[in-house]
Amino acid sequence: MKLLPRKLYLTLLIPLLLLLLTVRCRETNTDGPKKVAVVISTLNNPWFVVLGESAAERARELGYEATIFDSQNNTSKEAEHFENLIATGFDAILFNPTDSEGSVSNVKRAKEAGIPTFCMDREINSLEVATSQITSDNFTGCVELGEYFVRKLSKKGKYVELLGLVGDNNTWNRSKGFHSVVDHFPELEMVAQQSADFDRSKAMEVLESIMQSNPDIDAVFCGNDAMAMGAYQALVASGKADSVMVFGFDGAKDVMDAIKDKKIEATAMQSPKQMARTAAELANEYLNGARNFSKKTPLQVKVVTQENIDAFGAYGSTN
Amino acid sequence: MMGKLLKYSIITIIILIAGYNSVTLSPLDEVKKSQNDAVFNARAYAENFISNDVTSLPATEVTEFLSQISEDLDGYTEQYGKRLGISDAYNFILQGTGTVSSMEEEYVNLILENEKSIHIATDFIFGNAIRDGSAMADIGDYQNTMDFNSISVELNNIVREEIIPPFMKKAKVGDEVLFKGAVTVDVTDPQSDSLKIIPLLLKINE
Repeated sequence: MKLLPRKLYLTLLIPLLLLLLTVRCRETNTDGPKKVAVVISTLNNPWFVVLGESAAERARELGYEATIFDSQNNTSKEAEHFENLIATGFDAILFNPTDSEGSVSNVKRAKEAGIPTFCMDREINSLEVATSQITSDNFTGCVELGEYFVRKLSKKGKYVELLGLVGDNNTWNRSKGFHSVVDHFPELEMVAQQSADFDRSKAMEVLESIMQSNPDIDAVFCGNDAMAMGAYQALVASGKADSVMVFGFDGAKDVMDAIKDKKIEATAMQSPKQMARTAAELANEYLNGARNFSKKTPLQVKVVTQENIDAFGAYGSTN
Repeated sequence: MMGKLLKYSIITIIILIAGYNSVTLSPLDEVKKSQNDAVFNARAYAENFISNDVTSLPATEVTEFLSQISEDLDGYTEQYGKRLGISDAYNFILQGTGTVSSMEEEYVNLILENEKSIHIATDFIFGNAIRDGSAMADIGDYQNTMDFNSISVELNNIVREEIIPPFMKKAKVGDEVLFKGAVTVDVTDPQSDSLKIIPLLLKINE
C-alpha cells in the first residue's frame, strides 16, 4: 500500500486534530440533568441576589442543574463567564446583563454556540441575539408613581431627583416615565437632579450636599430603593424626615418596612422573583422544543403606597 | 524674512479656518434628540394613528362592557382585553353615548343609557391605554424600548392638546356626548364604578 505523501498527510491531519480539539472544547452533557447558567450583573445588591437565586431555584424545580455566576458589574468578567459556560456545555443562560451595549457580543457568542439566552431585568441593545428579554416595565411604573407623586404634593413644590447609574437604560426609563407626568405641572420645580449610582451611601452624601443650597425641598424622587433609604437617612440627620416626602423604586424589603412605618411615601414594586421564574420557565420551554418567543416580555410594576402596602410583600411576593 | 512671516501667517490662518469649520459644538440634548428623530419619530407615528385609524378602530359598546365586567371580570378581561407582557392591567377601546352630569377638575362625568356613569378624562392623561388597547404597536419591534414608550407619551400629548380643549370649550351639563376612547382595567383593583376613559373622539350632539 502506497503511503500518502508526507505533505498531504500533514495537510489533512492537522485540520482534523484542530477540529477534534474544537469539538472537545464544547463538551456535550449527555449524562445527568441539563445545565442552566444564571449570570448576574452583581451579587453585591440584595435585589440581584433575589433575582439570581429565584432563577436558579426555579430551574432546579424544573429538573435542571443550575449554577450562578457573579459578573461583579464588570463586562470583562461577564465575557469570561460566557466563554467558560459555552466551553463547558451549558444548555441555556438566564442572564442579567452588566451593560446594555457591551453585553450584546457575549449573548451573540452564546447564540452562535447554539445556547439560548434569556435576559432578565436589564435589556441589551439588540433584538437579534437573545431568545427573549424579560424586563420590568420601568417606564410605566414611573408614570404611575409620577401621578401619585403629583397628587401627594398637590401639584406644587420643590423636589430633588436622584438618578441611578447614568449608563443603565433602567435609570433613564424610570426618569423619563416620571418626568412624562411631573413636567406637565409647572408649579412642581426640580431644584436638582444628580446621579447617586443606585447606591445608598452615595445617595445620602449627594442629598446632604444638595440640601446645603436647597434647604426648602418638599420631596425626593429616587431611581431605586437603596437611594431612597440613603435619602431618608440624610433627611433624618438634618431633622427633615417628617417634612420631606421620599419616593423609591424596586420594592426592596427595607423600603417596604419604611413605607409601613410611614417613613417613606411610596415605591414601585418590581418582582425579581416573577421575572426570574418567567425566564427559567421560558428556557424550559425552549429546551423542550418551543421556538416561538416574544422578543420582549415586560412585567407590570405596581405602585406601593402607605394606603395599599398591606396587599404586597417584598420583592414582588404577595401577602 | 518678510516672506517667511507671510507664509507662516497664511498657513496658520488656513489651519485655524479648517479647524473651525471641521468642529461643531452643539448641546448634547439637541444631538441626542436629532439622532432619535432620525431613527423613530413617535409624534409622527402617533399623529398618523389619530388622523387615520381612530374612526375605523373596532370598539366595544360601553354599556355592554360594563355589564360584562360586572358579571365576570377575570373571564371577560382575559378573553377580550389587551395587555402588555405579564400584567394585571387590561386595555380596551370603548365607544358610546352619555349625558354630561357634571364637569369635575379632572374629568367629565357622563350618565349612560343604563343609568351607570363613566368618567371622560380631561386631566391626568397618562398611561398606555390607547397604545395597548388599540394594539397599534408591538414592543418586540422596538430595539429601544423608549421608542415604544414614546408612542404613548405622544398619543397622550395629542389627546391633551388637540382633542380635549375644543371639547371643553363647548361642553356643558346636559349635553349629549358621543365618544370613543381607551380604558385600562386592573383586575386586582378594577374601580369599575369610576372608570376613566382617555378620549380619542368626542362629539357633542347638537
